[in-house]
Amino acid sequence: MPRLKKILFFTGAVLLFVLIFIYDVARLTVSLDFGGAEYLREGSVFTAFLLLYFYIQSGRVGRAVGIPKNIGKLLVYAILVVALTSSMLLFGASLAAQTEKLSAPQAAIVEFLSLIVGIALGVFSLSALLTIRDLLLYKRKKGTKRNLVIFVILLLANNVAALPVMPVEAKFIASMLFPLAVIMIIVNSFKQNWIVYLSRREKLYAIAYGALLFIVFVVLNFLTTQSVVERALASLHQPLHNFIRLNSIFGAVYFGMAFVSALFHLPTAEVYERKQSELTSLHNLSRLVTQVFDFPDLVNTVTSMTLEVVGAKSAWLELIKGKRNDGQVLVEVVSLKNISREQIEAITVDADLSLRQLILDSKRSLLIDDVESDRRTRHIKKLNISIGSLLSVPLVSHNEIIGILHATKDFQYGFDQDDIDVLTTFADHVSIAIENSKLIAKSLERERFQQEIMVAQQMQKRLLPQKVPHYDVMDIAALSDPSLEVGGDYYDFATLDSDRLGIVVGDVSGKGVSAAFYMAEVKGIFQSLSKLCASPRELVMRANQALMDSLERRAFISLLYAIIDIPKAQMTLARAGHCPMVYVSGNSSVLVRPTGIGLGLANDRQFDDATQETTLKLKNGDICVFYTDGVNESRNQDGEEFGFDRLVEIATRSRMESAERIKENILNEIRNYTGNSSYEDDMTLVVIKWLGT
Amino acid sequence: MSEFKINQRDGEGISVIDLKGYLDAHTATDLETAFQKLLNDKKYNIIVNCRDLSYISSAGLGVFMAYIEDVRKNNGDIKLSNMSPKVYNVFDLLGFPILYEIYKDEQEAIVKFKAKAKS
Repeated sequence: MPRLKKILFFTGAVLLFVLIFIYDVARLTVSLDFGGAEYLREGSVFTAFLLLYFYIQSGRVGRAVGIPKNIGKLLVYAILVVALTSSMLLFGASLAAQTEKLSAPQAAIVEFLSLIVGIALGVFSLSALLTIRDLLLYKRKKGTKRNLVIFVILLLANNVAALPVMPVEAKFIASMLFPLAVIMIIVNSFKQNWIVYLSRREKLYAIAYGALLFIVFVVLNFLTTQSVVERALASLHQPLHNFIRLNSIFGAVYFGMAFVSALFHLPTAEVYERKQSELTSLHNLSRLVTQVFDFPDLVNTVTSMTLEVVGAKSAWLELIKGKRNDGQVLVEVVSLKNISREQIEAITVDADLSLRQLILDSKRSLLIDDVESDRRTRHIKKLNISIGSLLSVPLVSHNEIIGILHATKDFQYGFDQDDIDVLTTFADHVSIAIENSKLIAKSLERERFQQEIMVAQQMQKRLLPQKVPHYDVMDIAALSDPSLEVGGDYYDFATLDSDRLGIVVGDVSGKGVSAAFYMAEVKGIFQSLSKLCASPRELVMRANQALMDSLERRAFISLLYAIIDIPKAQMTLARAGHCPMVYVSGNSSVLVRPTGIGLGLANDRQFDDATQETTLKLKNGDICVFYTDGVNESRNQDGEEFGFDRLVEIATRSRMESAERIKENILNEIRNYTGNSSYEDDMTLVVIKWLGT
Repeated sequence: MSEFKINQRDGEGISVIDLKGYLDAHTATDLETAFQKLLNDKKYNIIVNCRDLSYISSAGLGVFMAYIEDVRKNNGDIKLSNMSPKVYNVFDLLGFPILYEIYKDEQEAIVKFKAKAKS
């Protein structure tokens, strides 16, 4: 669609110019002074130029070309137009010298040339105006567009006044408008903002183009004052002359100013460029924030940005990993650019005065302007590394140095105060980013640990019986609840043969992970020994043997092991330092505690001598409660223990109920007593109710 | 948790440690430190007076197990005294009376140490 428009504008303009040419040539021989013909012609020329304006305008849209390139193009057009106009001038002069009166074909050629030069100059003026407009509106301010619009209105008004159809008074107005337009040209020409934003290289181009364009526009202005050109233009379109002339003045003044302005801006170009790159680098700091999740990425960005920020040749970042026993600081180079680890080592360590130590002591940035002659870095000269100057900035977090950022340049006095300021600011951001990165890593680690513990918890739950064994002659209920994620309580059942069931409850000293490991070991020992040992006493003795070696000195395990012989309706139990069993039979209740020592507390002989066995004859309705000290040592708000008596009392009171109910009663009673829903210690309960036959 | 305090009294080749309060996993390290110091000072005749000890957990009991071997190897002993019935019951359940000499009164323990020194 825009393409079609362009073609329409162009062909429209060309068509109109062809018609105008035919009309002009015809007018040479035939009088065509019918009413309004002149108006029509002037109108056509104006319309043709308007179409050309639209054509040029639509051609510019969407083409993102740099400013110097645009000006360069304008310069090329300008030179072409000047050449064309000059040749036309020469041709006209030679023609005038040859003959007094022009023949018809000669006159036609002159008409044609006038047309071509007119169009060329007109088109050029339009595009010059548009180019200047773009420059003016670059980083525009409030009045920028207004000033330009005033100029264009004056320009058009001046042109309109120059129309041949206008009365003589209009010519007077035109001469009044002309100086006003020139004033606006000068006002507009002070607007040279675009130069500031050019790079040094582009400024050099701007100076050259500015100077050349100034000359070309002056020449063009001179040419327009030549009578031949003036006449040629006037013959095409009266106002065209004024239009081109004012535009050439505008061009000359504007680009003259641009030349001067660019010249003055040249010395500061480098500074401006530097500031610009510093600014973009600091904008890039936000990159640091997003990279805190990936430490290698983060430190890599830090060094590459250091190169950008201060224009360094090489850079490296070292972080402090801790202190050795002799006070020496341990440092790790985490990222480096354009330098090797060996070189870094040589630069920072081999010195008489360690650069690192200097920074750590002073906690301030260190600048070495001339590495070769500086006493602190003279050793670098021997290393054959091209370093002229060195800037090292400490990374400080919570008043402590966590690392050092180094930058080097290969010439002396490479870093100025601005560099120090910028790198210091940069270092502050780096410290924060690294600190955040560490915190994130730490919290991830904690989460991972938490998950490991959850896994351990799941595994430990699986070490406990998934369901209690079912017997017609007895009712069994059991529960084990660690106070932390994992614990040291253990209970288990072992079907020894069709007539006998083994029941064990154990408690590893201590809590948490270490207790959980021993608990798993006890399970292994119990499962293997229960099948081998005929009596509970034998089992605890052999378990003690097995555990003596693997248990820590201060760790021990208490255990209560009972074997129920179903046909005989009797229970035999041995106690290795464990809480006594609560036994309720009829109206009487006792704590059954055969003598015994905790596993891991004594050697074989002492242990075996001490360990005894008790046998109970089970009667229908008898209740046995196995438990760990988490039950009797539960404390109330006053710090008093739940104790054995309360436990015995509840068991007795609920002896008519099911094993499950008895277990629940005990737990509820403990909860009421402690006034707490969680337990302080691991808690295990196994309740057996002998139903009998 | 209520606090735990250790006091040490030395005299006549016997060191007496007074325990006060709750001896559990948190406070067990204090008792360990005290025992370690006695071993470093080569003081192997130790009496632990439990008169003001209101509670002892399995971690607390573990501390005695950790040092008894070293003390006895050096011809010394750790004797316990003045336990409240509640605290004694904890020691008793685990079979400590078989492994340690436990006396009603500190003086009895001192007499025992002295008798051994004479022989």
